Amino acid sequence: MNKNRLAKWVFGSTFLVTMLVPAMAFAAEAEAVVGEWQSYVAKALAAGLAMSVSALAAGYAQAKIGSAGAGTLAERPEASVWVIVLQALPEIIVLLGFVASILIVNMPVTPA
Amino acid sequence: MSVTTTSSRNRSPASPKDYGYANARIRGMRSRLLSRTFLDGLIAEQSVQRLVQEMDGTEYTSDLEDALIHGIDATSVDVALRNNMVQTFQKIMSFLNAEAEYLVTTLLGRWDIFNLKTILRAKHMHLPLDELKDGLLPAGQLTPVDLEALAAAEDVRTVVDIAVTWGLPMASALREGHAEFMRTGELASLELALDRYYSEWAKARLSRRGANMRMARKVLATQVDVANLVMVLRLQSADIETIDVDQYFLEGGADITRELYMVLSKMSDIDEVLERLRGTPYGRALDDVSIKYLEQNSISVFERALEDLFMRRTLGIAKGDPLGIGVAVSYLWAKQNEITNLRIIVKGKAVGMPEDRVREELILV
Repeated sequence: MNKNRLAKWVFGSTFLVTMLVPAMAFAAEAEAVVGEWQSYVAKALAAGLAMSVSALAAGYAQAKIGSAGAGTLAERPEASVWVIVLQALPEIIVLLGFVASILIVNMPVTPA
Repeated sequence: MSVTTTSSRNRSPASPKDYGYANARIRGMRSRLLSRTFLDGLIAEQSVQRLVQEMDGTEYTSDLEDALIHGIDATSVDVALRNNMVQTFQKIMSFLNAEAEYLVTTLLGRWDIFNLKTILRAKHMHLPLDELKDGLLPAGQLTPVDLEALAAAEDVRTVVDIAVTWGLPMASALREGHAEFMRTGELASLELALDRYYSEWAKARLSRRGANMRMARKVLATQVDVANLVMVLRLQSADIETIDVDQYFLEGGADITRELYMVLSKMSDIDEVLERLRGTPYGRALDDVSIKYLEQNSISVFERALEDLFMRRTLGIAKGDPLGIGVAVSYLWAKQNEITNLRIIVKGKAVGMPEDRVREELILV
């Protein structure tokens, strides 16, 4: 896949999920309409999406940073600390996804 | 014979890869290019020996150590600088992805043409081998060994024969140009055949789609424009009634179209040409040196200004393209520029050239 298309795809998916997660959370709150088990399914799906897409995005970012970091270290080994810091930065994305998924899973379900 | 112009270097850029690794590495290498201050320090040195000592600790140290075993002189330093450039270019080629290698090979092809033209001119004018070697810059696909073999040829015909025997891609162009050369005795026909071959070859190779292809096409188009403008300026001092000026036009330029080229070549003097070029990207660069031209009365002033403009544009190409081919192209040109400048300084020191004159000769530092 073309790298630009891949980047657009990852960005689009992330954007979609950020829109989708609150929507699904609202949907979970509307359990009076859909029933308890549907709420659990919706929450599980939303949490899974939040976790997986953020992990994919972090992986994509780390792959790019990793290859550039390897190139930098080949020529300038003294920059190793900076490369490690930059390599670790995208972990924040997956941590945020993890937090979002925890919040979704722990959202209370009111019986119908 | 180690020319690779026809086989591995011609592989298709069907699977472009990540530029991150190569570009980060090249940026690291770029950080080790010599600064203006350092070059000023070299110019201020009193001798080649002191200059070599000053260069200790730079990228050139190991090459200088290898080349200076038999004594420190300008020729040995020159060999060291050329070796360094060849190794640097080979190193870059070794880690570029398929697309980048394809594009860089295409753009660096100009150096093969430059070197072949230098050899042909030297053979035509019966210049000594040492003098000829000084003019060669092995930045293309022809290795120093190939160039040495070509330079050792007896005459123009032998150079063409060697090129044909080796199966160099430009051999057919050389053969055609040589037939014309034999008929007219004008070396310009051979040079024109080479120029035309390169512009068509490079244009065909860069005809695919994509941002990197587009960028490489831009570099090539500027290069062709510069070549056409240089030709227009040279024609000003020639009797154009007896010359078919159209045949000297090279296809593939961006701003200098065939129509504009024809209009410019028929103008009566340089002022008119400069006036007409004012609306183009080349107008300002030429205007800036017009006074210098009046002082020196030499077209080479304009040629130098156009070459500088091309260099400036190519060096700046990385600014708008941090994740594409621009970084590699810009570095290769910067490195070649640095080597040229160092060679000028070393030669200047060796012949006792005044510091101001050396500074004047340096290119865009």
